[in-house]
Amino acid sequence: MDMLGIIFSDVGMLYKSDLAMSRSTASIPFGGRYRLVDFHLSNMVNSGIHDIFILPQTNFFSLAKHIATGKDWNLSRKQGGISIFPPYSLEENVGLYKSRLDALKRILNFITNSKANFVILSDSDTIYNIDFGKALEFHQAKGADITSIYTVRNLDESSSVHETIYYVDPDKRIHDIMLFPVLEGLHNVSVGAWIFDRDILISTINDAISHNYIEFKHAVMALNLKKLKVYGFEHTGYFTHINSIQSYYDSNMHLLKKDCLRDLFYSENGPIYTKTKDSTPTRYCIDSFVKNSLVASGCSICGTVENSVIFRNVKIGKNALVKNCILMPHTVVGENTRLSSVVTDMNVRILDDRTLLGTPNCPFYIKKNMIV
Amino acid sequence: MKLNKKDCIVMLLAGGQGSRLGALTDGTAKPSVPFGGKYRIIDFALSNSVNSGLDTIGVLTQYQPLVLNSYLGDGSSWDLDRMYGGIQILPPYQGGENGGWYSGTANSVYQNVNYVNNYDPDYVLILSGDHIYTMDYSIMLEQHRKTNADCTVSVINVPAEEASRFGILSADNKGRITAFEEKPKNPKSTLASMGIYIFTWHVLEKFLAMDDKNPDSSHDFGKNIIPLMLEAGAGLYAHEFEGYWKDVGTIESLWQANMDLVEGKDLQLSSSWPIYSRNPEKPPHYIGCDALVKNSIIADGAVILGHVENSVIFSSVNINENACVRDSIVMSDVIIEKNAIVEYSIIDERVTIGPYTHVGHPRSQGGMITVIPREQILNGKETE
Repeated sequence: MDMLGIIFSDVGMLYKSDLAMSRSTASIPFGGRYRLVDFHLSNMVNSGIHDIFILPQTNFFSLAKHIATGKDWNLSRKQGGISIFPPYSLEENVGLYKSRLDALKRILNFITNSKANFVILSDSDTIYNIDFGKALEFHQAKGADITSIYTVRNLDESSSVHETIYYVDPDKRIHDIMLFPVLEGLHNVSVGAWIFDRDILISTINDAISHNYIEFKHAVMALNLKKLKVYGFEHTGYFTHINSIQSYYDSNMHLLKKDCLRDLFYSENGPIYTKTKDSTPTRYCIDSFVKNSLVASGCSICGTVENSVIFRNVKIGKNALVKNCILMPHTVVGENTRLSSVVTDMNVRILDDRTLLGTPNCPFYIKKNMIV
Repeated sequence: MKLNKKDCIVMLLAGGQGSRLGALTDGTAKPSVPFGGKYRIIDFALSNSVNSGLDTIGVLTQYQPLVLNSYLGDGSSWDLDRMYGGIQILPPYQGGENGGWYSGTANSVYQNVNYVNNYDPDYVLILSGDHIYTMDYSIMLEQHRKTNADCTVSVINVPAEEASRFGILSADNKGRITAFEEKPKNPKSTLASMGIYIFTWHVLEKFLAMDDKNPDSSHDFGKNIIPLMLEAGAGLYAHEFEGYWKDVGTIESLWQANMDLVEGKDLQLSSSWPIYSRNPEKPPHYIGCDALVKNSIIADGAVILGHVENSVIFSSVNINENACVRDSIVMSDVIIEKNAIVEYSIIDERVTIGPYTHVGHPRSQGGMITVIPREQILNGKETE
């Protein structure tokens, strides 16, 4: 496809959360065996995009290791493939990327040199399965300069401020954007993905930079609504935007619902690819008792597990009770231990006979490598 | 030293039909029969080789190679996509002095002498693609070097009553092989050949040529080459292997090896000696609200809404509400509908078992394992 993909791996609220303490937002584990970036890479690859730039910020070791050559997404290629552009890489601009806009400015050369006529920009703190090809068809049919992808969601006042809202006319043209809305009800919420004509992207970035604007959505989108043809394309399947540990927890729990699981992983758009680990299939002991749970490979399960998402290589001891939990890779749960609404990060060990209780609306998060 | 010289290369015999596996090998060679939830049998020999530091593997194929060829691909699943070496599929070919169908295991290697000589190896490791075991071949190679042997045969102690099923060796106290008998009526020892040989290549090359000229030979390593070498007074040594090893050549042994993996006592797979395979791109498996899973192995992408006990469930298997699977092996993409019962069976890939259908019989009744060949659709109350 005639489109270049660009993924911002460290934008949004998660960047400063505990989950991203030791990793990029894009490499936060999700859904038993994935990392957030997998959804974006897979969406692009399944849509026929094979030239992808990733713009990380700090702590991108785990992301770089996860992606490696891009082979697991079929992106190890002679033409295109995956390129990681960390900050600090250019002579005149040192320091972290200040914003999406700043990041784009610094890789402008590479965008200019790309043969693709279209560019899709994508945040990485969202999860959905989409065919960008359909969005591009829409973009071309409308003769749009910019197409912003949105989904209709029910917002409440406490969390709506983290979303971007589009107001579209019947022709799907966007006539207003709210960047920090405080409102409730059904709204067109940005999924954090934008399709640009490449030349428009380059000229709007140059224009925004010369005006010393910082914020991408404001400078490139909101200020150009009259000047440019900015359209909205609606995504209708499952969508979630993760901006806190609470929404991380809720989004993982969504996967226990049949519809979400099907929308995300069995979509006709294609599967979600990830780095394969060659772990063994999961072993269940004679005493195991498991209900309504998603369990990845490489686990050994001897206790009781209910309403939980269990990542790869987790060990759950005899008589342990794991309820409403999210256990990231290599978590070890000791014998007779009780966990309820707990989120363990990678390599957490919870010894025998412990009891840790959170609640579904305030899950108990345990940091990476902790021994409890 | 030549740029692509290799100390030791592997020749993996993967051309056998495995006729005793019945319907399971109707459309595919034995090494590509699925095993243990996500593997195929050949993964064990390939992974053992890679883990032992051997990165040049010729895979000799002949019988029904399509599934095997596409499974092996470029070898990247086993880290065998290498600049020099890596995996090379060696089908029989026409032309040259020796071209034609492989007439035996030794003949298949002999026809590929050029492939071997490309790498100018000192040693050649001969493996079968139909055994389940984890083994570090570098220990055996070390012994081969130390004893300055012409051939080292890996052996395992088998129970005396089973010895007549194997190739049985006798060895002196230094491990030097003094006698070899294929399936003897009255075995003199309990040291059984595992069909794993390391040869010093220039010695083997001579014996292969010698054997090739013998019209009465069946050109087989066990039946012909080893006895020929013994007779000629070559240095043959036994390398004793301790650990789990199973020839999964029959339905019963295939079933048993799968169950050994479920029990996790004799056969344990660990991340320190990973068995690589081609991984399906599937989400984690889902265990439903009314499901019951006990003493089983379950792979990615499976959806379990019914009951599963003492079973191996491969990727993307769907077991619907109130269905019950016991003492069985259910391969990829099988659908088991509501209220169906599967007992003491091996269900091959892409089978559909309709609602209220009963497959197999309780294991406690004894009798044979039921095998349902791939892509069958079963609908009816009783199927045996």
